[in-house]
Amino acid sequence: MKLREILSDRETWQGLAIILGLSVFLAVITQLGLIRRFWQGEFKQAFINRQEFPGLVFVSLAEAESLWASGEALLVDSRSREEYAAGHVPGAFSLPLVEVKSGQEDLLRLLPEDKPLVVYCEGGSCQTSLALAKILFSKGFKNIKVFSGGWEEWLQAGLPVEK
Amino acid sequence: MVAGRVARRKITMVLRNKVFLLLLRLIVGGVFIWAAVSKIADPLTFAQDVRNYRLVGQTLSFLTAIILPWVELIAGLFLIIGIFPRSSALLISGLLLFFIILVAITMLRGIDVECGCFGTFSRRADLWLIIEDTVWLIMALVLLFSPANEFCLLKPGSRVSN
Repeated sequence: MKLREILSDRETWQGLAIILGLSVFLAVITQLGLIRRFWQGEFKQAFINRQEFPGLVFVSLAEAESLWASGEALLVDSRSREEYAAGHVPGAFSLPLVEVKSGQEDLLRLLPEDKPLVVYCEGGSCQTSLALAKILFSKGFKNIKVFSGGWEEWLQAGLPVEK
Repeated sequence: MVAGRVARRKITMVLRNKVFLLLLRLIVGGVFIWAAVSKIADPLTFAQDVRNYRLVGQTLSFLTAIILPWVELIAGLFLIIGIFPRSSALLISGLLLFFIILVAITMLRGIDVECGCFGTFSRRADLWLIIEDTVWLIMALVLLFSPANEFCLLKPGSRVSN
């Protein structure tokens, strides 16, 4: 059959409409609970199950800065080594997600276990900080904050930079 | 010349073989069902995988994550049992083409992500994935353009010539 024949066949479009309609219907009835939680704003920052990751929270620039300035928390940089070298939050610990994922877990032993960790990445819509935070959580670090504004917000605010 | 024509005729014969086409439907439909079930079981992980591509925002990622797996499941199922097999093949081909373009764009943007293809059994979105998806796309296109769909629950209408 030729594509033109297929596309001009009414049955093709009927079938497509039925498949898509049925999909939306089934998605809505099976995920009603999740849709409600989304509506209530639970997944505004990330798609994580709060029960699965208790203690993992998101912080704003102001919170991240005050945690950093008071020395209360350790900032963890999830970007690559090159990006870290080009500039980072003073005193931040370089823990590239790619290295942790490729199995270099001895890096985690260098982290303090009693201090809260504030993880950040490039900013914008970067997702490596959250991915790293999840790994850290599963490795036993329970006090983790994700600074989703990241490096971009830090730079824009004109805060101190270390190279 | 003659040898080429013979080979072409042989390929056409295989591509029109009823059993071959049924087998193809089982394979392509099966992989879509498998991919869908693993994602329906864990929508949040898939939603985050979609978000990681950094192409759409939180709301669209969420909607994609809850609807797309069902589209894959129903299209795969319909392709196998033969309800609107032509529509299913068209939809599956379209999705595969979209996935290939998506992975290519993501690679060009230098974003390193899990593909999210099979829920938690994920793998990296890389060149291999593009090659793999291309093979699936070729299979889906063979089905889309096949002259007849035998062994169907709903027989295609009379307009579909054999």
